[in-house]
Amino acid sequence: MAVIEWLQFLIGAVFLILGLGIFTVEMIGVYRFHYVLNRMHAAAMGDTLGIGFCLVGLIIMNGANLTSLKLFLVVCFLWFSSPTSSHLIARLEVTTDPEPEKHYRKVPLDTLEEELSKREEVSGAEKSDELYGTEAECVRMDGAVTDDVKTPANGTRTDIQGAEA
Amino acid sequence: MGEGVPGLSQAYTWLFTAALIFLAVLLILCLIRAIIGPRVADRLVAVNMMGTIVMVIIAILTLMLQEGYLADICLIYAMISFLAVIVLTKVYMGVFLERKNQEGEDEKHGGN
Repeated sequence: MAVIEWLQFLIGAVFLILGLGIFTVEMIGVYRFHYVLNRMHAAAMGDTLGIGFCLVGLIIMNGANLTSLKLFLVVCFLWFSSPTSSHLIARLEVTTDPEPEKHYRKVPLDTLEEELSKREEVSGAEKSDELYGTEAECVRMDGAVTDDVKTPANGTRTDIQGAEA
Repeated sequence: MGEGVPGLSQAYTWLFTAALIFLAVLLILCLIRAIIGPRVADRLVAVNMMGTIVMVIIAILTLMLQEGYLADICLIYAMISFLAVIVLTKVYMGVFLERKNQEGEDEKHGGN
């Protein structure tokens, strides 16, 4: 009997520590990204995966009873509420941003296919090494990031911008 | 937790205490993010994260103190923090749009 209880403790502890690790990753992401819409990605991870792991660990430690059911209900509720609140916050940010062109680029829906095929051509021509550079340049996440991005040797940057104009 | 097995009770106490201390540190980091976050959405994201971390703390306390009713409090906390985010978003968006409309009307009158 003692072995089973120790096993319960160990498995629960592993899940709990895994959940705390997810929270740590979340916090690192929130401090490292430069813009809200990027940060939100890191923050939403803790809302679902982090608390999910933690509470699964606690449920394993607690065994099957009513308290475990309530903890499971908390996780279920967060699965629904976290995407909703993320969506609302993102919409608030997009609505109230005074200078959106500094943070991201809006692509109209009817030119989207053209844009994507263009991007595919560019990345196909450049092969794997330069892919990251062009991708980051196309998405243009943040001023600080764009400055750091290495410009490809064969001048893709001007190609893209010229095609846009 | 873990009465009747030698050493297990102590192990549970150690694990829970360590987890609580760690979560408290993360909570303070969240608070700093909420204070320095340059935009309103930053602060809302940070408040949302704080709510999640407090939920985990309450769930750990449920097991540590062996008080089942704390699980209900955790559930209610989840609902209230969700409601807080929704209300804050709606209110801020409403205020922003109203101000924008007002400015547009002012400009129109000024032009005439």
